[in-house]
Amino acid sequence: MPAGSLQLLAQGAIVSLLLAASAIVGGTLLAIVLAVMAFSRLAAVRAGYRVYVYVVRGTPLLVLALLLFYALPALDLRTGPYIAGTLVLIIYTAALFAEVFRGGVLAIPRPQWESARSLGLPPLAMFRKVVAPLVTRYTLPPYVNVCVMTVKASSVLSIISVWELTLAAREIIERTFAVFTVLGLAAAFYFVMCFGIDRLGRRLERHLALRGFAGERA
Amino acid sequence: MIEIRGLQKAFGAVGVLRGIDLDIADGEVVALIGRSGCGKTTLLRCINFLETYEAGEIRLDGQPLWYRTGADGVRRRMGDAEARRMRQQMGIVFQQYNLFPHMTVLDNVVLGPRFSQGVSALEAEALGRRLLARVGLEGKMSAYPAQLSGGQQQRVAIARALAMRPKVLLLDEITSALDPELVGEVEDVIRSLLSDRIMLVLVTHAVGFAREIAHRIAYIADGAIAELGKPAEVLDRPKDPGLKEFLRRVRS
Ligand SMILES: Nc1ncnc2c1ncn2[C@@H]1O[C@H](COP(=O)(O)OP(=O)(O)OP(=O)(O)O)[C@@H](O)[C@H]1O
Ligand SMILES: [Mg+2]
Repeated sequence: MPAGSLQLLAQGAIVSLLLAASAIVGGTLLAIVLAVMAFSRLAAVRAGYRVYVYVVRGTPLLVLALLLFYALPALDLRTGPYIAGTLVLIIYTAALFAEVFRGGVLAIPRPQWESARSLGLPPLAMFRKVVAPLVTRYTLPPYVNVCVMTVKASSVLSIISVWELTLAAREIIERTFAVFTVLGLAAAFYFVMCFGIDRLGRRLERHLALRGFAGERA
Repeated sequence: MIEIRGLQKAFGAVGVLRGIDLDIADGEVVALIGRSGCGKTTLLRCINFLETYEAGEIRLDGQPLWYRTGADGVRRRMGDAEARRMRQQMGIVFQQYNLFPHMTVLDNVVLGPRFSQGVSALEAEALGRRLLARVGLEGKMSAYPAQLSGGQQQRVAIARALAMRPKVLLLDEITSALDPELVGEVEDVIRSLLSDRIMLVLVTHAVGFAREIAHRIAYIADGAIAELGKPAEVLDRPKDPGLKEFLRRVRS
């Protein structure tokens, strides 16, 4: 394997991480909006939520990526693969995050809602002070799960010529034929990124643990 | 004062409250007693509008609560914003405390004044500290609910409700989930409220405690108030046969 390959892979890994990070941030924000829609009083809004989740979750990421890659220019939006790729990842992860958050909202015990209601808390305060903190704690493990998946899912974007870790690896393989070394290294990069996210998640979990409950670390 | 007229509530086809009429005067303490399942909790929850109800009126200081009847004669829920304003005038304490587990004791108490009533952070905190001191928890301000005993949590819940400066406090069997040795400390807090002349509506199975602190006791049966009067009348000279039977059983 020629010198410089490792450096290329590292650069690819950084691009993958940036893609995943944008998708996680954008997807989380979009998912919060979606999850609020899921509990709307208006049936049409709730239906909108379900359609979004079913359609996005029910379509392979690869197909979604190709679709947006070809659709955006057709709509006269000259965006290029990076914007299209980031958008696809945001749209995709938002559907997964939204379901995670919806599950968290459903897990809030009824008495907690009633305490908040009987205090006359307005909707925004209810969300910020009661719903969001509880949902964050309930959903951290599945949330981290989706984050890890997003890092790996970003490899699909190589198909629409987003230069990231997987595409970098394929380019090096075409030149060097060192298939197993290069793929092994790429896999190692993915693993390190996912492992890092996992560790971060665990730390956050400990930090947010409800005080005084069994299982809390001193 | 609170005026309840013809309150009816059903769960599906089962009528639980079938016309409750009750007036509570300013500063009055009313205890609700009755067999398990007779609708005591449901009545408190209707007063706080944690349950909808099909018919009847509730007024607080003359203001009609929860429903409005329009010019077209149709009864509708009042708007959310208005309902929130009304709720802020009453506090409810549940059997199971229901504190917010992710907040310190002080934050639990401060939450309502701060975010429902728009009291400044400084003022709300001072109020919270005062109330927690009053219920004997000045040393636990920064503890989390799960780090407290049941009795302590219940006292926090009372402080949280009082922080809204409510006109009425609804207490639903607030000592029933406690170990016997913790009941006294919560009862002491309720006793200390009597000097505030706040309206208290308390559901209790502790007939002795009801006799001590209530001005009137209401016995609920078959979805209505079957007997209402001073503790001595209701407990010592019951007329309703069901009440006689009930008292025999709770005393044995
Ligand atoms: N959400 C509900 N759905 C259906 N039925 C209900 C519901 N809540 C209460 N009920 C029924 O309404 C009746 C009154 O219940 P409620 O909890 O008010 O009784 P209670 O007087 O408080 O009893 P207890 O002394 O055991 O607390 C019961 O028969 C109960 O089964
Ligand atoms: Mg009850």
